[in-house]
Amino acid sequence: MASRVKRAGVDRRTVLKGMGAAGAVGVLGFPAVLRAQVKEIKIGSIQPMTGPLAAIGKTTRQGNQLAVDHVNAAGGIKSMGGAKLTLVPGDTQYKPEVARAETERLMREGAHVLVGAFDSGTINAMIQAIKQATKPIPLMIDIGAADQLTQQGSKYVFRSFVTTQTLGRKGIEYMLEMFKISGVTPKRAVLLHVTDLFGQVQKDRTLEWHKKLNAPFEFVEIIAYPTTTQDLSTEVAKAKAAKPDLLLAVTRLNDAILLVQEMYKQRVEVQAIMGPGNPGFYHPNFSKTLGKLAEYTLDNVPWYNPKSALTQKVAADYEKRFGEQLTTDSGWAYQGVMVVADILERAGSTDPDKFVEAGRKTNIKDHVTSGGNIQFSENGDNIGASTAMIQIRDGRARVVLPKETAETQLVYPVPKLWERG
Amino acid sequence: MSLYVQAIVNGFLVGGVYSLMALGLSLIFGVMRVINFAHGDMMVWGMYLSYWLFVTAGVDPYLSILVTGSAVFLLGAAVQKGLVNRILDAPHEMQILLMLGVALVLENVALMVWGPDPRRVSTTYALSTFWLGPIVFDLPKVATFGLALALALGLYLFLKKTDLGRMIRAASDNQIGALLVGTDILKVFTLAFGIGAACVGAAGSLMTPFLPFSPSTGLFFTVTSFNIVIIGGMGSFLGAFVGGLLVGMSESLGAVILVPSLKEIVSFVLLVLILLFRPQGLLGSGR
Amino acid sequence: MLRLGLLAAAGAVLVFLPFWVPSTWQNLLITTFYYAYLGQAWNILGGYAGQLSLGHAAFFAIGAYTSAVLASQYAISPWLGMFAGAALAALLSLGIGYLGFRFGLRGFYFILLTLAAAEICRLIALHLPLLGGYTGLFINFTPNPWQFQFQGKIPYYFIALGFLAAGSGIVWLLQRSKLGAYLVAIREDEDASEALGVDTFRYKMIAYALSAALTALGGTFYAYYQYYLQPNTVLHINHSVDIMIRPIVGGAGTILGPVLGSFLLELLGEFSRTYFAGGMAGLSVAIYGVLLVIVVLFLPRGVYPTLAHLMRRRRPGRAT
Repeated sequence: MASRVKRAGVDRRTVLKGMGAAGAVGVLGFPAVLRAQVKEIKIGSIQPMTGPLAAIGKTTRQGNQLAVDHVNAAGGIKSMGGAKLTLVPGDTQYKPEVARAETERLMREGAHVLVGAFDSGTINAMIQAIKQATKPIPLMIDIGAADQLTQQGSKYVFRSFVTTQTLGRKGIEYMLEMFKISGVTPKRAVLLHVTDLFGQVQKDRTLEWHKKLNAPFEFVEIIAYPTTTQDLSTEVAKAKAAKPDLLLAVTRLNDAILLVQEMYKQRVEVQAIMGPGNPGFYHPNFSKTLGKLAEYTLDNVPWYNPKSALTQKVAADYEKRFGEQLTTDSGWAYQGVMVVADILERAGSTDPDKFVEAGRKTNIKDHVTSGGNIQFSENGDNIGASTAMIQIRDGRARVVLPKETAETQLVYPVPKLWERG
Repeated sequence: MSLYVQAIVNGFLVGGVYSLMALGLSLIFGVMRVINFAHGDMMVWGMYLSYWLFVTAGVDPYLSILVTGSAVFLLGAAVQKGLVNRILDAPHEMQILLMLGVALVLENVALMVWGPDPRRVSTTYALSTFWLGPIVFDLPKVATFGLALALALGLYLFLKKTDLGRMIRAASDNQIGALLVGTDILKVFTLAFGIGAACVGAAGSLMTPFLPFSPSTGLFFTVTSFNIVIIGGMGSFLGAFVGGLLVGMSESLGAVILVPSLKEIVSFVLLVLILLFRPQGLLGSGR
Repeated sequence: MLRLGLLAAAGAVLVFLPFWVPSTWQNLLITTFYYAYLGQAWNILGGYAGQLSLGHAAFFAIGAYTSAVLASQYAISPWLGMFAGAALAALLSLGIGYLGFRFGLRGFYFILLTLAAAEICRLIALHLPLLGGYTGLFINFTPNPWQFQFQGKIPYYFIALGFLAAGSGIVWLLQRSKLGAYLVAIREDEDASEALGVDTFRYKMIAYALSAALTALGGTFYAYYQYYLQPNTVLHINHSVDIMIRPIVGGAGTILGPVLGSFLLELLGEFSRTYFAGGMAGLSVAIYGVLLVIVVLFLPRGVYPTLAHLMRRRRPGRAT
């Protein structure tokens, strides 16, 4: 981690030297155009680097960093004379006040655009800082769930992430498709969720679309547990007593591990453990820590298109550099910065209003993440964003649905946890 | 019905480990009157040391308690000797602040050293269970429970039977008296904090076979320890044990009877009731 | 005379300050004032009366939620709603105080009672749909001063400053009143004051209610500065800690303590983030922790008492 930051620093300095030379040449050639142009564009990356979401902050930061390096390696922002991107790091500490202070600090340090920050509460604080600023700068929410974030009347807020509506709808749609493919239809489902904003929103959306799409199973039990939980044995016993065919779970990271461990110990027999949108199941640490027990876990998540050449290159680069699989957090954090770069390229300026103008006209066809073209609605939501159903297979998260981008065949119902050798 | 029995079993087993961790806090508070806000973070350090020994040298966490206990003993003793002893005559609230600072340092240094990803000690028996009818017993939890009990007993004997132990107890009962009879009170303090920390460090190791953890795990256990110590009775040995079991079971039963997201409320309500009607704790003797 | 002059000069600087400092520094000032105000409110109970509370987040949250819910559901301006919140918070504090003081809880026991009360409030708030539950409560921004909503930070600056001035004024009056003297007596030796006929229960209750009500007013400010309330943030134990540590660092039971403590900690926080947030994850917070420890070791009586002590030593004749 430290070495990475250092490396970025070295890059920046060498890049600056290079830019100086390029600038000198430029001044001779086209003095009028180049003199006014910035040589370095600062992207403020505000992520939860410490506190309970630190594991997520680590990967989102890595995604941001990789995108910056890729843009620079490809020659920077060409419309601005090849200006390079620099990542300016900030840490929310998972506290709104700190997120706000960090937003102002990065603005003070000259950040041109912000990306971040996974947790909706802290993102909201960042939005307030931007709204109250005399010179607001744009924010690209690379990951962030709450609908309200883009409904606050600030034109500077964009979200390249999916909306909770899409997440909820796709979750049920994929389930219906799974039942059709396998010919197995569950009757009873239990939904376990953690009591934070994301857990609540995911639960609400799942229930909403479960009803709208007339899913064939019923929810026999909904179990909410605290974010601080260190023991899920009773929750799992409760779930087991409800005799579910399907176990849906919205967890964080620690509790995802606890949950599966407990289901093994208590011999809970289900057709599948599935996240309707679960940040715990796809995290590389989940399969690394649980090994065989993690296998076959399903998760409906904003993912990436493994069939696209661009994605394959990015995923390979990411894995080579950071030693773990590209996932939702890192992939969408990567995408967030790439969208920013695309907008900057078209805006030809770091002026916030020009950025917003160009942002509205975004239409990115070739991108990493799941879904169609990246386009922004009037309030700044990415209308093209969608999800994929992934399944852990041989220690990696692999796309099983939609069929067009599937990497492997869906296994459903899944083998029992305790019969996996 | 079996759900209730299962909940009681689960709560009982979890409570056993809670007890050992609370014993440490009870000792630290009983002797020094220091509110150890870094208690849970010291435990997390015990966990990481166990994890590290397991991953690098294959040492079983049930064996590595010897190492982690000693290491966290040193940590605790250093905190007392290097920091708390220096501000003994400062207003009491300063000690709280000091321990808050120490907690921040411990948590975030753990983050720097081990990274943010949750860790789990995957011993071969980590997922073993045995069944009595429809009730499942988690083998590592049973083993941990037994060992925690044994360690607590050992500590009890140490405090009751040895000179050092008697000195610590004397200091706990009456600081001025201990000073009068010529006890080097600062040394006793250092020792007591060390032993309290060792308890919680060992408790951390004992939990690793079934509990995934990360640097931010500490706060929950700090608050839980506070709860247990008050419920059981400050400075009471048996109290910490009974308190631990009660808190473990109340959370577990709370998850069944109420909703799980409210399970913590049971122990807090219990705490308030105890504070009001029996402030010395269930088994404490006076204040 | 000198004091009045200093006060006037400081006032003048503070009034013009926001027009001089760049916008991106204003949040730091606002946060400083606002935490100094909360610290001042905490100071009444924790500093003067010596009853350490680790549950002030509960009163804070009651203030924040009450005004927000009254505004969104019943169209009552937060300027009025904040007083409803303060009243509710005072009521709760009287409940906790009645139980705690009636049963003679002191020191660690009182701390834990307040902590438990706040945790119970957090868990209840998480389960109240009216408050938005786990999702939290988003407050819509409509730049209407009557709704406590302002464009730009300068109005917030002056409101926070006004809060701090008013809070400090109340504490100043308290310090000079009989009540204040009783509170200090209770802090120094509760049993002795009781023996001298001081109705300790009554004065502790008054201190608690006043402290809670003022804290709740601060909650309203937070609600309309951050525009989002979630129990796991505003009612978290870390938040109670944030409220408590500033007056302790500055010197509990002194009028300037919360102010100095707030300035110092905001500076240390900003310093550690500015210089270390780019390093390894965790470094900046660890450094902040180290700085906190250093402050305690070198200023074990708090910033203000240490400064005052030094001043007295330098000018022996001018003891205040």
